[in-house]
Amino acid sequence: MPEPSRSFHDDVFRVDVDHRGQVAVVRLAGSANMDDSAGLKEELFELIDSPVERLVLDMTELDFLGSVGLGAIIAAHLQCRHANCSVHLVGPRPKVRELLQVTRLDKVFFIHESLDQALATA
Amino acid sequence: MSLEQPLSQQVVIPSDLCAARQVEDCIIREIESRGYDAQCVFALRLALEEAIVNAHKHGNAGDPDKRIFVSYEVNDRRVVVRVRDEGDGFCPARIPDPTVPDRVPLPSGRGIMLMRAYLDEVTFNESGNEVQLVKEKS
Repeated sequence: MPEPSRSFHDDVFRVDVDHRGQVAVVRLAGSANMDDSAGLKEELFELIDSPVERLVLDMTELDFLGSVGLGAIIAAHLQCRHANCSVHLVGPRPKVRELLQVTRLDKVFFIHESLDQALATA
Repeated sequence: MSLEQPLSQQVVIPSDLCAARQVEDCIIREIESRGYDAQCVFALRLALEEAIVNAHKHGNAGDPDKRIFVSYEVNDRRVVVRVRDEGDGFCPARIPDPTVPDRVPLPSGRGIMLMRAYLDEVTFNESGNEVQLVKEKS
């Protein structure tokens, strides 16, 4: 399915967290630009320390992911390995999915097509 | 149909990400207004972020008293951006391949690879403190 054509400028980065038992669902939406996503790593680390068993990053509304945001997600993945939890990605859009493939991070993360699928994974 | 006039700009900004973002937005607005497609816009934004974050974080060591020099030329066929920092530079050939299995999970070190993957040309000056990015309109 083609992505809708949207300007990055009107596309503020938003992070919303929803706790579901031991799972934290983090909805990432808009454009994760270099300055907007600067605090993302700390937010994810706080959730991991809360603690949680699984960190689910819902990317279905994420239009852009730059190096700072990508670095934050990878850092969270590494932190999770020390905390016995795991990072799961949900529904990355085609350009973000391509970025994960180019960097071969699609081999590192669990990637699910839907939130239900990610929540159902044991 | 007449083509739009080429645009050429040079800006000097403090080494901080908010100022850098404003320059990035100007360049992205310009290419969007010239009808570059969403794939081009995504690619250039990604590469610009990599170049600017590298300049700020590595070249200028995060020092807000240092500067980043950005120049760009946009026409209806391609965009050329140069990003220079005040650091000593580096040798791009010595940067390890971030896609080898041991390095894939590292949080950083993939900037140059991404710029090369998404752009048509990526070149560094001799000292390595300036990168030139070229993206052709598709």
